[in-house]
Amino acid sequence: MSLDCLPVTERRWIGRDVVRVEDRSLLTGRTRFIDDVVLPGMLHCAILRSPFPHARIIQIDTSRAEALPGVAAVVTGADALAWCQPARSTPEGWGLRCLASDTAHFVGEPIAAVAAASRAAAEDALEAIDVEYEPLEPVTDPFRAMSGDSPLVMEGKGTNVMFHRVFTWGEVDAAFAGAEHVFTEKFRWNRVGANPTETFGTVCEWDPGTLELCVYGSIQAASSAALGCAGTFGIPSSKVTVKSQHHGGSFGGKGGARGIVVASMLSRKAGGRPVKWIEDRSEYLVAGGGQAWDRHYEASIAVSGGRVTALSVTLVDDLGASGEGFGALGAAKPLAAFTGPYEIPTARYDLSLVATNKTPVFPYRGMGPPPHFFVLEQMMDIAARALEIDPAEFRRANFIPADRFPYTIPSGNEYDSGNYGEVLDAALSLAGYAELRREQEEARKQGRLMGVGVVSTVEPGVFDWNAYAIVGMPQTGVPEGATVSIDILGSITVRVGFSMEGQGQYTLVSQLVADYFHVDMDAVSVVQLDTRSAPPSFGPGGSRLGVAISAAVLGACQRLTGTLRRVAAALLRAPEDQIELWDGNFVLKDRSGGALSVAKVAATMLARSDLLPPGVDPLPEATYVWTAPGRTPADDEGRAKSYLTAAQAVHVVVVEIDPDTGVVEILKYAVADDCGVRLNPATVEGQLDGSIAQGIGAALYEEYVYDEEGQPLVATLADYLIPTINEIPVTQKTAVVTPSPFTPLGAKGCGEGAIHTTPAAVMCAINDAMAPRGVLLTEVPASPQRVWKTIREANR
Amino acid sequence: MSSTNGTRPVRVTVNGTVHEATVEPRTTLSELLRSQLGLTGTHVGCEHGVCGVCTVLIDGKAVRSCLTLAVQVDGSEILTVEGLAAADGTLHPLQEAFSAEHGLQCGFCTPGFLMAVYALLTEKPDAGEDEIREVLGGQLCRCTGYQSILRSVMRAAAQFRESKLEWVR
Repeated sequence: MSLDCLPVTERRWIGRDVVRVEDRSLLTGRTRFIDDVVLPGMLHCAILRSPFPHARIIQIDTSRAEALPGVAAVVTGADALAWCQPARSTPEGWGLRCLASDTAHFVGEPIAAVAAASRAAAEDALEAIDVEYEPLEPVTDPFRAMSGDSPLVMEGKGTNVMFHRVFTWGEVDAAFAGAEHVFTEKFRWNRVGANPTETFGTVCEWDPGTLELCVYGSIQAASSAALGCAGTFGIPSSKVTVKSQHHGGSFGGKGGARGIVVASMLSRKAGGRPVKWIEDRSEYLVAGGGQAWDRHYEASIAVSGGRVTALSVTLVDDLGASGEGFGALGAAKPLAAFTGPYEIPTARYDLSLVATNKTPVFPYRGMGPPPHFFVLEQMMDIAARALEIDPAEFRRANFIPADRFPYTIPSGNEYDSGNYGEVLDAALSLAGYAELRREQEEARKQGRLMGVGVVSTVEPGVFDWNAYAIVGMPQTGVPEGATVSIDILGSITVRVGFSMEGQGQYTLVSQLVADYFHVDMDAVSVVQLDTRSAPPSFGPGGSRLGVAISAAVLGACQRLTGTLRRVAAALLRAPEDQIELWDGNFVLKDRSGGALSVAKVAATMLARSDLLPPGVDPLPEATYVWTAPGRTPADDEGRAKSYLTAAQAVHVVVVEIDPDTGVVEILKYAVADDCGVRLNPATVEGQLDGSIAQGIGAALYEEYVYDEEGQPLVATLADYLIPTINEIPVTQKTAVVTPSPFTPLGAKGCGEGAIHTTPAAVMCAINDAMAPRGVLLTEVPASPQRVWKTIREANR
Repeated sequence: MSSTNGTRPVRVTVNGTVHEATVEPRTTLSELLRSQLGLTGTHVGCEHGVCGVCTVLIDGKAVRSCLTLAVQVDGSEILTVEGLAAADGTLHPLQEAFSAEHGLQCGFCTPGFLMAVYALLTEKPDAGEDEIREVLGGQLCRCTGYQSILRSVMRAAAQFRESKLEWVR
């Protein structure tokens, strides 16, 4: 609920901008990333990939490759058939094996792999593998894929439709039938994705003696990876250890499952020698975990008396050639915030997940709401424009009022708290909104295309599996654990199950523990355990870990305090319930008598068994595993209390379009956001900045382009345009703080809010700029070519 | 001089230490540094010269070590991220500035940023924001959105102008 629960007079660390504990190793080049790991006897893997989007594999001959110097093992689809199950997938039953055996389903699909003495030798050997293909007709358009005469991506399935359902929440038809106004539009969101600066990598070791598998890797969710390996290889999960290295970003799209399985098979075939596979950038771009959200939308809203009464969204989501990347979760997540920040009483979601001969899609930061909110917010502007209402005031009139929280939306999730009007006011004031509109009027008189976007979204935070129940996730709850341990000299170690990937969570853990026990941050160390040693852990993802790990660490500190207090009571000869922890000492509540430091009590437990009270173990440590309270399984219409927190933001963006080139320039960017209590304001700001940059990339620059035959046209970072510093504006920011009533420290998930909002805001600004010309751009990214063509339509 | 199997000897000075190594003609500088000399602080992000993650200094100039062949640097002086902090572990002022301004998140691209900025400021101590932006425009970061990086570099540049001696390695 708030930081006041900490047993100190004055907090020195938590809630403040502190220097990150991660920085020193990173800045000196000492942090060990996966490609820095070298094990004795280690081999290097290279992967041969399909050049065809759809082809029969007639024959593979690896004999020439096997005979090359330094080549220790070669694997093909035949090995995969013998040793592996297909990947687990959403929807279930749409996974592929790690190496194609009879059919290649997309360009870049792994066909064979080599382990050799060096990466260069392994790549040389790929050229000595002879594969005979029979090209088949591909399908790349999901609408064609849904038709009866389409080629089938997976022949045995008999259809390319992985999933189709219509979810109806409330009396939607009646709302549309009785509405004063109905607005309908189609939208296209092209593929974008994570592209962390470090690609995926792994070192796998299949021990032929113990029959155990050990996997190191730049892995976002280590425990999920371990279960995946056990399932794929059909071995007990207790025989699999995954140790995630600290890694260079993830954003949901690290990928890597196929690489782990391939490297593990090679290790097995090479007699247990460890095998390293480092994905190169082209492999990542063409066939890695970096592609997400390939979507075709049609949306309608009903409006009466200035209030939106219904929202209907039809989504055809092109998941590519399999469900192995869990991209389907991104189509389900909008249920957690389907109607955004608005009090819209009824809604419908017509959802189709379709297979095509393109690379399977994966999660990406935001996990699905960024395109959904792009659509919803365009519809809000379309309605406001038609009804001649200021778009900011139209949103305000439809906001969920501050006194209605906790508020349950039609698609079932409950928003914890918020004050949306206050956030809107803060954003408009920061941006100088009234003045902006005057400037725009002047610009328009001069014929300039200047536009203002005002967009508000809700960021579901602290993800729960139940949000994805509709596409086959049966669990409720996502446990995250931590162990807090004090040694004989009073030093504190916290053991967690996840690695560093950039969010500064080790810093957060150190801040919290240092304040709780009233020590310096330096006195706290954070240690990562592997999957067989760690308490239950998911790790980063779904704007969850900051809340989850702080709750777990707080719980462990409190549990440890309970144990220490029993010892302190014995030592102080006072009743336990008269003793409390305050500023690092156990003291009597009435402050009579002495004080015992936490360090002294812990040392007594370990070094003076004669003083240990009966029934207390000499173990000054405690583990606590947290899971979000009050979560509910999904009902038949997918409704659940899923994401625990609901942060909210308003972005105000000003753009100007060059009508001759279609180039969009961002002139101003202002943000007001409310993600509850900020545990480390500087890292929260960093999450905002990075997420805005990715949102601008998605709105204006980034796109995985395929030709009609399914050939990817993006294979380098010269093709996939990640924004540089010169594409990202300097933003103005302000914060509103509405603490979450549901999280122990009042914080809300905050890692994804900006990418939920930024693409919508930039596109609203672009369409506001073009409004006098009577045209609408409904496709992202708004590349100069697309903007220019849209303006040309107006001139016709 | 080339051997019969095509490998060649190279002699380089990296962070003040002389190294002799034997490389294939196709071995890149990043591979030499990382795999043969054990200096893994230089990271590789794209292997085609776009991202700038692998930036190091050759004879004072910032270069992409993924696009430079090891045989090209024979006889050169190279500075990598491992050469920035003092021998006793004291961070270089540029590193301090990045930490103070939260100019890094995952840190994978950071060595490239540090080396590119080090090269700029040692050559042009009075570089203004435009010149700094131009150099930073050659480096990709996916985490920070660059604003904190710009702040870090502006802070470091101001510090450098005051005390050049602490700066140069």
